[in-house]
Amino acid sequence: MVQMRQSTRATRGIRVVAPGLSWALIILVALYIAVPMLCALAFSIYVPTTGFTFVPYLESVRDPGFFGALSLTLLITVLTVVGLLAIMVPTMVYLHLKAPRWRPVIEIVCTIPLVVPSIALAAGLVTVLRSMASFGRGSVPAQISQLLQNPDLPIVLVGSYIVLTLPFVFRSLDAGLRTIDLRTLVESAHSLGASGATVLRRVILPNVKGPVIFCAFFCIALCLGEFTMAVTLGYRTLPVWLTQIAGSNFRASISMSLLINALTWALLIAMTVLAGRAAPARVLALKGHKS
Amino acid sequence: MLAVARSDAPSGADSVDRAVDLVHSSPARAQRRGDSSFTGLIPFLVFIALFLGVPICGIVLSAFRVADVNDPGSYVPSLANFVASFRGASWDAMQNSLQISVIAALIGGVVGLALAQAILTTRSKKLIAVVTVLTSVLANSGGVPLAFSFIAAVGNAGIMTGLLSLTDLGFTLYSSGGLILMYQYFLIPTMVMVVLPTLAGLRLEWKEAAASVGATSWYFWKKVGLPIATPAILAGFVLLFGASFATHASAAALIGGGGVPLITLRIDSGLAGGNLAGQENVAMALGVNMIVVALVVLLIYMPLQKRSLKWFK
Repeated sequence: MVQMRQSTRATRGIRVVAPGLSWALIILVALYIAVPMLCALAFSIYVPTTGFTFVPYLESVRDPGFFGALSLTLLITVLTVVGLLAIMVPTMVYLHLKAPRWRPVIEIVCTIPLVVPSIALAAGLVTVLRSMASFGRGSVPAQISQLLQNPDLPIVLVGSYIVLTLPFVFRSLDAGLRTIDLRTLVESAHSLGASGATVLRRVILPNVKGPVIFCAFFCIALCLGEFTMAVTLGYRTLPVWLTQIAGSNFRASISMSLLINALTWALLIAMTVLAGRAAPARVLALKGHKS
Repeated sequence: MLAVARSDAPSGADSVDRAVDLVHSSPARAQRRGDSSFTGLIPFLVFIALFLGVPICGIVLSAFRVADVNDPGSYVPSLANFVASFRGASWDAMQNSLQISVIAALIGGVVGLALAQAILTTRSKKLIAVVTVLTSVLANSGGVPLAFSFIAAVGNAGIMTGLLSLTDLGFTLYSSGGLILMYQYFLIPTMVMVVLPTLAGLRLEWKEAAASVGATSWYFWKKVGLPIATPAILAGFVLLFGASFATHASAAALIGGGGVPLITLRIDSGLAGGNLAGQENVAMALGVNMIVVALVVLLIYMPLQKRSLKWFK
């Protein structure tokens, strides 16, 4: 009884205004959030002249550019997630296990992308790639520049997307590794004869599964929606393709954009629910690259 | 027997080492061991150097040089790009971006703060749980889909534009006001996300305690409530400003090249124009200006955020 009263008490905030006014404000903001999405939905399934229809969705899929944009986006997404985890999980484990003194340095390095807006990062890449190309056809810098910008496999975009996720990924993996007794786990596994790779795969990974999935979801959501770097570097990913067809067929572009948005939101919701309550410390890392 | 002993030897020696380690694993020893290890970080550092270090060096170097008039194709160090970035159309774009960001952050900050308090006032656990998830999703929404939904709702041929005859009221989405309206979509949730934990931490008990020693409600907010909430509120405002200032994707999808001057779009057009009249290098200077603004934002935000958590550890 006492406990029950205490737990209800804990959720009691201080009331500043009447609950009625509070609900009015909540409903107003909820409308502001819902109306644009509902209008977009209406646009995609209702054409004034013909009534309800799925034609815009079919048209967007039939657009000659769609499959190219989709496959490029998926390829980039897969490579980014794999590359991100391949670089960051071993690095973070190593950092916690063998090089704790380097932690502040790595933390600062991983925070830098928050300070460099993605348009500035893209501008920096453009100028570097252009000046490398200006060495002339066949020269080594020009060849590297071409390799990085391979239209079918844009390494430069994959690398940049990994960089954009770092502030978030560092915090997430760092927090995850801190909650487990890494040293004991690794030492017991070693004493049972496990190799380094086995320890990573079968001992450490299962213990940080939550943060790893969390990072992967965040990374997928970023790759599906990122526009600034892709358009500046000249790649036709899904969001870039959407803006290109919007002029000629807005209904088709808005229907596909709704689908992508729904998928992104689903990923982010799943991620947040998995992680439990979103800690305020994560706010900064979560912000900034998609808008 | 001997063979077995031998094959066991390395791991046996290892475990002795480890036992010794464990016995001596004082903090000092752990530090020393940390000191010597560095090799495992090399892949990460190489990657960072390539994809973060090189572009940053690229943008800074390009910003500080101009094409040499006497020797076409080569460059000389110069501050001319920065001078140009504070003049004419570039300066207009910078000013407009700053102005939009301040107004958008003020509106988003006030609405977000009021909304967070309103959500707490309902005392509904379910609502708070839903809001916590939704805000972290919406704070990350943006980009092309956001611009498209706003076009569908309040664009030239938008549904709400027709229903509310917004055009007659003089509203157009493709303006600074339109951008501010659209930015609220991710700004308000961001503000809620920043201030909700702090506001939720202000316990009713504190107010009751203050009341029991004779404090009025006003006095409580002045002496206890606001001082505790202020760092979080300021941190939220600064973060909102930074988010608006750096916004590119949704603005580009909404207004493209023309209409509203924005620093992000100005960098875009500078890059697209090639090195015609050195615009590319001015774009780099604008990029450096943006980095400086973002750095200031982060340096103000971080201590405020840390202080906002002080009471709730």
